[in-house]
Amino acid sequence: MIASLLAAAGDWVAPTLDYHALAPEIILAAGIFAVLSIDLFLEPEQRWITSALSGFVMLGALVTVGTLAVIGDDTRSMFGGRYVSDEYALILKALFLVAGYIVVLMSSDEIERGRYHQGEYYVLLLTSVLGMVMMASSRDLLSIFVALELLSIPAYMLAAWNKRNSRGNEAGVKYYLLGVFASAITLYGMSLLYGVTGTTLLTDLGSAITANGRFSGVEVIAVAFIVVGFAFKISAVPFHQWAPDVYEGAPTPITAFLSVASKAAGFVALVTLTFVAFPNAEDVYQPFMWVLAALSMTIGNLYALRQTNIVRMLAYSSVSQGGFILMPLTVAGVDGVGESALKAVVVYLVVYAATNLGAFAVVIAVARKTRSGEISSYGGLFGYAPALGVLMTIFLASLAGIPPLGGWFAKFGAFKAVLDADTGWGYSIAIIAAINTVISAAYYITVMREIWMKDEPTGDTTPIRTPPSLGAALVITCGATIVLGVLPDIVGRFGDITDLTGALGR
Amino acid sequence: MLVNNFLLLGAVLFCIGVYGVIARKNAVMVLMSIELILNSVNLNFIAFSTLHGNIDGNTLALFIIGVAAAEVGVGLAMVLLIFRNRKSIALDELSEMKG
Amino acid sequence: MDVISDQNWVLSVGTFLPLAGVLVMLLIPKREELLHKQIALITALATLAVGIYTLVQFDYGQAQSLQFYASTEWITVINSGYTIGLDGISLPLYFLSMVITVLVMIYSWDHIPSPGNPKAFLILMLVLQTGMAGTFIAQDLILFFVFFEVVLLPMYFMIGVWGGEQRQYASLKFFLYTMFGSALMLVAFLALFYQTGRESFSIPFLVENGINIDEDVALWIFAGMFIGFAVKVPMFPFHTWLPDAHTQAPTQGSVILAAILLKLGTYGFVRIAIPILPQAAVKWAPVIGVLAVIGIIYGALGCLAQSDMKRLIAFSSVAHMGFVMLGISTLTATGINAALFGMVAHGLITGMLFFCAGSIKERYHTLEIKRLSGMLIQMPKLGWILGFCAMASLGLPGLAGFWGEFPAILSAYNPAPQLDVTLFRTLMVIAALGTVLAAAYLLWLYQRTAFGEPNPEFTGHGHAHAVGAAGNDEHHSDIHDVNIYEWVAWTPLLIAIVVFGVYPQLMFKVMDPAVTQLVGVFNP
Repeated sequence: MIASLLAAAGDWVAPTLDYHALAPEIILAAGIFAVLSIDLFLEPEQRWITSALSGFVMLGALVTVGTLAVIGDDTRSMFGGRYVSDEYALILKALFLVAGYIVVLMSSDEIERGRYHQGEYYVLLLTSVLGMVMMASSRDLLSIFVALELLSIPAYMLAAWNKRNSRGNEAGVKYYLLGVFASAITLYGMSLLYGVTGTTLLTDLGSAITANGRFSGVEVIAVAFIVVGFAFKISAVPFHQWAPDVYEGAPTPITAFLSVASKAAGFVALVTLTFVAFPNAEDVYQPFMWVLAALSMTIGNLYALRQTNIVRMLAYSSVSQGGFILMPLTVAGVDGVGESALKAVVVYLVVYAATNLGAFAVVIAVARKTRSGEISSYGGLFGYAPALGVLMTIFLASLAGIPPLGGWFAKFGAFKAVLDADTGWGYSIAIIAAINTVISAAYYITVMREIWMKDEPTGDTTPIRTPPSLGAALVITCGATIVLGVLPDIVGRFGDITDLTGALGR
Repeated sequence: MLVNNFLLLGAVLFCIGVYGVIARKNAVMVLMSIELILNSVNLNFIAFSTLHGNIDGNTLALFIIGVAAAEVGVGLAMVLLIFRNRKSIALDELSEMKG
Repeated sequence: MDVISDQNWVLSVGTFLPLAGVLVMLLIPKREELLHKQIALITALATLAVGIYTLVQFDYGQAQSLQFYASTEWITVINSGYTIGLDGISLPLYFLSMVITVLVMIYSWDHIPSPGNPKAFLILMLVLQTGMAGTFIAQDLILFFVFFEVVLLPMYFMIGVWGGEQRQYASLKFFLYTMFGSALMLVAFLALFYQTGRESFSIPFLVENGINIDEDVALWIFAGMFIGFAVKVPMFPFHTWLPDAHTQAPTQGSVILAAILLKLGTYGFVRIAIPILPQAAVKWAPVIGVLAVIGIIYGALGCLAQSDMKRLIAFSSVAHMGFVMLGISTLTATGINAALFGMVAHGLITGMLFFCAGSIKERYHTLEIKRLSGMLIQMPKLGWILGFCAMASLGLPGLAGFWGEFPAILSAYNPAPQLDVTLFRTLMVIAALGTVLAAAYLLWLYQRTAFGEPNPEFTGHGHAHAVGAAGNDEHHSDIHDVNIYEWVAWTPLLIAIVVFGVYPQLMFKVMDPAVTQLVGVFNP
């Protein structure tokens, strides 16, 4: 058997590497080693250097993403199409890197106060971002799996960062066990898929699944298992139970990171698989996506309504927002709709990232003073910290989808995609989503009311001092939220479906 | 050699693993159940690889073994963490946060 | 629809200039209250200057074409453009929004409602101004929707933060009603987009192509827009947010709400719903007409039952907007001209009434009609102004209110040929009855508050209320006549009410060409 394997591998030639296309990953990997080794020689009071260095690494990688976008061919394919750097991958890489940078900005002050293991913290963060960046380019079951684990394993450790706090432990263990369980299930699905098709390359999978015209039971199970596994990652109902607990127990910057970047990475994998590997399996995945989307929106909203803790409220809100991001995928297989569905998902991910990171940045800033996560602790915020009050209002209004903030266009795009489909599935999910939009306004409004119309519960109205790095994070996210709403074309033109599937020969 | 036998074994291992994850309260036992699932996946990949006569499956299996080792490392570290804080690794006692 | 693209920067500048002021104010700390007031006023005045320039440059010979027209790509993904333009229908409202903002700014000079914070208050007002002006110039449905929604949050906060006792309830009600309405409106817009071949959201394009939509579908789309706009107007079954919002809002909020925000709804009917879907408008017109007349009678009866002055004015708004909607529902040039005139006149008069109510509240700390009396003795000037506004509001000939109501009633005698004459003539009679009721409640209000002897509670030498004596000493020291800021803020409105009352042609001739073109489809 080994002989046969060797024979199969006999005609192996070293692949040509496009170093420019791999530059973001290489910079991140080098940065990880740099931070890790520099950290060894730093005195405790110099530890801020690791934070600054991590930020620069993210920005450096971002620069190469920029050069990739403007110099030369848009689409660079390596390893026989297993690793592709196209416009779709680039916009998402940029998203992950910017999100990672903002999380660094949010963390620097928070982690410095914790006084331990700063270097490791940033190493883990960078590693997780590296996994996400790889995920955006992966076009093979193997690279998707490796990217998934590379982004998840550091995230488990980050979630349990508050080592001595039992809530931190609980968050870490819950996230870890469910995450590993989910990826095991995904893997089982992948193994079945490989079994029926004999390939792990997504484009080949796409054509192999259509080859015999109809589905075998194994294929259905395989697709279902894979979707379920990623549903855990994106915390879609009914696989969402870990999310609120993990979000509450993890350090808040990590919560922001998980709710935005990690979730987006799950969506990226799901989108890539949907469009490249299962292009004709819509009969299998559409009902799945429909149920997941409908449940996520509705259950997420209903739970969010009864939360009194802001982080848990944002956790359930992010479950519900996940439903909206899934919504276009329920019609992704309908002829002619794929493009607007893909665009809707990409735009939604970008807008959601900006808005949600901003909301968590405000939560961090406010918690510095109030030491509380209760929604009632936001009472009177507008009176003593008007800037934070207004920023939170902007972020919440954007999440609620009120024009002219980013969220409205994201929601609008999702609605347009499902209506474009002109199918019963599309119309029914649109109605459910419309009802949920109104419900969600209720709990966002609750927080706004606390901020603007209530009094500070303890009567302590000393102003909040926002550290400069956190302030920078707020400015970036707020600017992005407003600009994306006023000029949505900036991102609307990304994610052309031809880039994702056309370049791969379909 | 019938590939069915391997797949059957894989499926059985998978089911035992899933059962273990759902039913066991002990964190270490849950970890072991997850390992069972991963092993069933490996078995599947290798069997299919032989069936198709290409090495993609074997490669994936090798990667899974490597990654699983890392995963278990992290997992056991977390179990240790809980044990230090609470002197117990029963998962059903981990329910401080609700709602 | 013809377009004239000369000087197409004018509208964008006029709309977004307030935001420049907002940016400057954001950089200045909150304690510089005077500076904030100055900047806000200067910004509003500069905006008004642009408005006057627009007024001067407007080609009145071609009031039916969209002037200062500009169109660039905005959201290419959904074929929505930044398309703006102004014609005879939108010009008066566009200009009115600028005037009202300036006057409200002047009034705010010494009337910042509790809990203070002029910085935030004035910023919200400037943002509101951008939203309002933008709604009147938008010639693209998505752009219209965005501007329409921009207004939502500032108004919500204005009521919720600076409002009265029940402010949280009132602001939430306002928010939810409007949100619900605009959700349906957006669905209707999307349906229009799909039904016309997914080509464009531009209003001129849709006016050309909307007529081809299948009638059954058109009826449903119209229904969506109808509810969206009717909530904002507000028409009879959707009006319940209005009395609460008006009563609780600060004076400035009430004035802007009455003068401009309510017009966004009626303007939507005239600009979007009727021209794009004339085939559905014909079917819906009787419904609109009946609801409008119910609104007139209901509003009037509601007024008679009120004990709070502000609430009474709010209900009178429901009645007045009923006249406007009745005019629109006739689908005739007379009716729609009257409706547009009525919109402006109501803006001037009811805005003025809310100013008066705000000033009375500030002096007496109450608006309970029972407790007010003898205003003519205590504050003769304010008393006379209130009387003047009440007369204007009840539709006295020679004042602006008359030209909104009378032609609207008249037009119902002779509605568009497709409509049922008997029904509309019946409506006309009932609406005429409504004017009598209007006279009744306004005169009743005026009699109770202005005539007679001043309530001893507020005169200072009445000892009837010994318990509250300490408080009353403060009260009557507040009671002074109209002050300089109030004069400056009010005079333009008072003059306008007289000028438009004596010479209504001033406005009719601007609107008529556009309206005639609009109703052309109903009179082939």
